[in-house]
Amino acid sequence: MIQLNSLSKKYEEKTVLEIETLNINKGEHFGLVGNNGAGKTTLFSLMLDLIQATTGTAKINDIEVAKSEAWKKDVAAFVDDKFLIDYLTPEEYFSFVAQLRKVDPNTLNEFLQQFEAFFNGEILNQKKYLRDFSKGNQKKVGLAASFIGDPSIVILDEPFANLDPSSQIRLKSFLESEVNKDKTLLISSHDLNHVTDVCERIVLLEKGTIIKDTPKSPKTLKELEAYFSGQ
Amino acid sequence: MNLFSLQWKETFRAPQWEAKISIKIIIALVSLYFLGAFVFGASMTYPILNKEILDREPVEVFNGILLYIFFFELVLRFFLQQLPVTNIQTLILLPFKKRKIINHVLLRSVFSGFNTTPLIIYLPFAISMYRDDYLGSQVMAWWLALLLVTLCLNFLIYIVNKNNLYFVLLLAVVAATIALDFYTQIDLGHITGAGFDAVVKQPQLAGLFIFPLVLSYALVFYFLKRGFYMDAGLAKKKTVVQTGDYSFLNFLGEDALILKNDLRMIIRNVRPRQVVLMSFLFLFYGLIFFTQDIYRQQDFVMVFAGLFVTGGFSLTFGNYVPAWDSSYYKLLMTQNISYKKYLLSKWNLMVFVTAISTVLAIPYVYFGWDVLGIILAGSFFNMGLNTWTTLFGGLLNKTPMKLNVKAKAFENTQSFSLNQFLLIIPKMILPVLLYWLPAKFMGPAAGYLSLAGAGILGIIFKNRLADWITALYLKQKHETIEAFNK
Repeated sequence: MIQLNSLSKKYEEKTVLEIETLNINKGEHFGLVGNNGAGKTTLFSLMLDLIQATTGTAKINDIEVAKSEAWKKDVAAFVDDKFLIDYLTPEEYFSFVAQLRKVDPNTLNEFLQQFEAFFNGEILNQKKYLRDFSKGNQKKVGLAASFIGDPSIVILDEPFANLDPSSQIRLKSFLESEVNKDKTLLISSHDLNHVTDVCERIVLLEKGTIIKDTPKSPKTLKELEAYFSGQ
Repeated sequence: MNLFSLQWKETFRAPQWEAKISIKIIIALVSLYFLGAFVFGASMTYPILNKEILDREPVEVFNGILLYIFFFELVLRFFLQQLPVTNIQTLILLPFKKRKIINHVLLRSVFSGFNTTPLIIYLPFAISMYRDDYLGSQVMAWWLALLLVTLCLNFLIYIVNKNNLYFVLLLAVVAATIALDFYTQIDLGHITGAGFDAVVKQPQLAGLFIFPLVLSYALVFYFLKRGFYMDAGLAKKKTVVQTGDYSFLNFLGEDALILKNDLRMIIRNVRPRQVVLMSFLFLFYGLIFFTQDIYRQQDFVMVFAGLFVTGGFSLTFGNYVPAWDSSYYKLLMTQNISYKKYLLSKWNLMVFVTAISTVLAIPYVYFGWDVLGIILAGSFFNMGLNTWTTLFGGLLNKTPMKLNVKAKAFENTQSFSLNQFLLIIPKMILPVLLYWLPAKFMGPAAGYLSLAGAGILGIIFKNRLADWITALYLKQKHETIEAFNK
């Protein structure tokens, strides 16, 4: 589904990402962990063709992302607040995305109902523009919108950051249960607990290279904790 | 001291200082030009207000219109000037006394470009007074009084700015002043003038002007102090939502989506509103040119005017595509919309507004059929070709746009580049040639047809042109995303 081949990104002489090969299969829930500056956002940005690769290619469904725009119909992403239109109300934003995804208003309303607990009554019908919402609530809007229209690949960068504890738990259970198994989900996180709960495959990045790529096992969390505490 | 060093760093580490040296030079030259124009204009005012003809002292005449200058200045300040409060929020928790921070902000506001009127307008006039036969003390007093009034306006505007109601009040005062002058014997402009006349006669009276200044300072100080909490005066204004789903645009089908979003962007954000307002003023350009016989004889002036009258929106709006969408550019780049569709929606909007402007410009027929001819031909050229050229120019403009912040002086020029300057050739010079060549040999009708025809070709081949511009946009995609990410 997603194939990366000798993909690298250099800024002048500094290499921020270098990946020999990485294949992500359909339906995989893929978790990316690593410290700040490990290259997580760079990796996602390369997959989304938001930055230009220095070498190599990223392909989604055999379409090279830098060469064609045809992959966009299968992919939704929420990387940062540059994915939000801040002068719209949440409803208008959802409807904007829904129309781009060819989802009709009724289906959209049904879709949004499953987020009732996650939204905690603070998102819909607030008569406020997104720019006047708190960071956490803005994030909720962006996260929910990336599932509109059932895209087969969803990429979320740090979905748990900035959310309050209840919302983190609700998001986690949504990602675990509601996201059906043929959806490919890519998330990055600093929170080892959450990422090991949600994902079946964990990739550890350090200084731009993959140093660990394992299926999740009962031991994974312990191993990761050991790694990050420097033992 | 600390606060000033912060200020210093903020100013000199700002992105505009990193602009290319060539652009800095151009901006400096343009600034110098305007400065020169103002100073020259102000120096010429004195001799123009000729004593022999008006049978009054030029100073008295000038003093008589001062009130209107002040009003104009206030309105201009309302639209453009911004209190430098934004970075107070970071200081609020640091160990600075409130009083100190507020004084700093207010003091800093004094060094705004808006307070240069005493230097560029009043000073040249004062020098002319001195060279006539006024005493140094008289001239100094007069100038000082005006300086104090300017500073007073500088502080007052922050109170007016906080609340649109105060602005309405200001407009009401202006309207009342004009009405009083018209319908009654009370001429406030004259009364204000008399005040300044008195200063000229008795220089020590200028000292009195210190009182309104102190009063306005105290007032705005009080306002800021009262609102000195994150959730009150310093917070960004929360806007009440304007709803409206623009469903009347649905007949456009898929294109309506981006178009509706653009309408919302324009209506809900300060900066695009400013631009659209400015572009509306372009409609009146014709009143300057079509009314003068000297200009009517000049083909190139007629073509320029014809293009400007209907082209205001597409020229100003298009110049900031895609910068308008800079704050959510990544969304558009990953969502299910093709670049070409996105650009075509922008093009549609520009064509749509140009068409409306054309309808609004029809009354120009009053000045003659040739005027209507050039406006219609110019309108087609704007719709068919200038839209594309402007979209191309917008691509060169990679400064991210803060939508809900008023433009600072020269902010519009920051993103100016030599390439954009060169675009004047296809936008302005090409249409002049298209009109002038046929018109010279076959009469004006051929000129209109040639100009309009070029535009119509642009509309017919819009898909081709869109493909071509899209390819250019795609080529610069990563560079643009990176620039907008700052």
